[in-house]
Amino acid sequence: MNLKELYQEIILEHGKNPRNLGKTDNFNKDAKGHNPLCGDNVHVYLKLNGQRIVEDISFEGSGCAISMASASIMTDLIKGKNEHEAKEIVEDFLGMIKENPELNSENLKEDEKTKLMCLSGVKQYPMRVKCATLSWHTLISAIDNTQEEINTERMD
Amino acid sequence: MNIDTIKKEFPIFDEKIQNNDLVYLDSANSSQKPKVVTDRINEFYTKEFSNVGRSVHYLAVAATNLYENTRTSVQRFINAKDKNEIVFTKGATEALNLVANTLGQNYLQDGDEVLITELEHHSNYVPWHFLRKSKNIKINFAEINDDCEVTLEEIEKRITSRTKIISITHLSNVTGAILPIKEITELAHSKGIIVVVDGCQGAPHLRLDMQDLDCDFYAISCHKMYGPTGLGVLYGKKKWLEELPPYQGGGGMINEVKKDKISYGDLPNKFEAGTMATAQVIAFDQSIKFLEKIGMDNVVKHEADLVEYGQELLQKNNSVKLIGNPKNKGGVLSFTIEGIHPHDVATILDEDGVAIRAGHHCCQILHDKLNISASSRASVGVYNTREDLDKLNDSINNCKKIFNTK
Repeated sequence: MNLKELYQEIILEHGKNPRNLGKTDNFNKDAKGHNPLCGDNVHVYLKLNGQRIVEDISFEGSGCAISMASASIMTDLIKGKNEHEAKEIVEDFLGMIKENPELNSENLKEDEKTKLMCLSGVKQYPMRVKCATLSWHTLISAIDNTQEEINTERMD
Repeated sequence: MNIDTIKKEFPIFDEKIQNNDLVYLDSANSSQKPKVVTDRINEFYTKEFSNVGRSVHYLAVAATNLYENTRTSVQRFINAKDKNEIVFTKGATEALNLVANTLGQNYLQDGDEVLITELEHHSNYVPWHFLRKSKNIKINFAEINDDCEVTLEEIEKRITSRTKIISITHLSNVTGAILPIKEITELAHSKGIIVVVDGCQGAPHLRLDMQDLDCDFYAISCHKMYGPTGLGVLYGKKKWLEELPPYQGGGGMINEVKKDKISYGDLPNKFEAGTMATAQVIAFDQSIKFLEKIGMDNVVKHEADLVEYGQELLQKNNSVKLIGNPKNKGGVLSFTIEGIHPHDVATILDEDGVAIRAGHHCCQILHDKLNISASSRASVGVYNTREDLDKLNDSINNCKKIFNTK
């Protein structure tokens, strides 16, 4: 276990000053997520344009440094990607947090991968994995318009 | 038994937990187990095991006697009038569900009111909530004051002509507030209201006397009082336990079973359906004797000293904010740290070997009222020392260092 790996400077910085925090104007898709174990809530908003590109994305919520940083980094990376790319990146991220040693997505640039890998320290803390994944599951729910609130206790 | 050397009785403190000495500050969640208790479980399973109350062979009779001995010990420990007022359950949660469910069936009428408090653990709210739908019961909440305690005056204010039950915690698992149960019961009884007490935090940390408190029901969690998991105790006044219907049906709780009619067993069997947590009950006798050996007055004194010391330490620590300041307080210190989420606090403390709890501690109503989603909680037991609280404070400082806050 290594706290320094978990609480890297970039995580602390994003946790303290999350990007894209708030409710974006003209969003046309959104979804809520909830972690009943710790009471964390997140609400993801996005604007998908006619070409199915994420024109804008933001989130509202409160939570620990890991969950806030994860949502912040996620929104930064997803902005400008198309729907298909976004979903593929989410899948890649969830795979990495659960078991894969690295990210494989061709839709992520090297510097984006480096940024995302800062969250990999959470792997060593099984109780905290859900903090990191909540906003990502919620993003998928928003894209798919499932109207279903994400609940981390009902996920693998 | 000297309380200053009590740690030695708990084998877990000889272990290294992730290369650290364990500083266990999560006893309000569950306490560690002294060797006498775990030894007893092992001994019973390896040398004396049998089911109780059924067969006539030697082991069955011996096990039944041991099982009933624990009931007598519980009766003595809480000073209940009658041994048959002690019912074993699978936990305090089941004990509270039993009370809410059976009172709901036999006693409460459409539109009746149950008064609880904003301090309640979910297990003293959700069972009553079930009755909102099935019986159209209304639930009222006595509110906390600025010190996060619930006063007798507040309870009095919330009582209406429809209040039939007051169900309250003895000692808050978040703020540590100790409620004036005796006075509340006196007031309630003068108005014909039943009093149910969630004693999960009361039983391990306070001297109990059911005949003095005079409450009608008292729920106990055995794993919080240095005993095994999977076991709780419901104390109920005999007249109530006799009047209420059984909670679960099955073997052991019946008198006679025919195709057209069934009669139920006497107390306490009526409420102990199926094979009970035999080994746990038998080992729980050791938990009670362990506490009696220390003496509950010494436990109270020791924990009061710890909480006072801890409060002082944390009050002096910048950016730490203690939740509540009840005049009458048990060994619970809940707090928030400015700019650091409780889950981050708990993870960092854990790395230093300091085990606390972070979250809402099954008290979402209280956290909503305080306008926070979560808090960190350090809670003490007989084995804790002032040094443990020093380590807590040091580790909090480490958190602040990592998060670069003052």
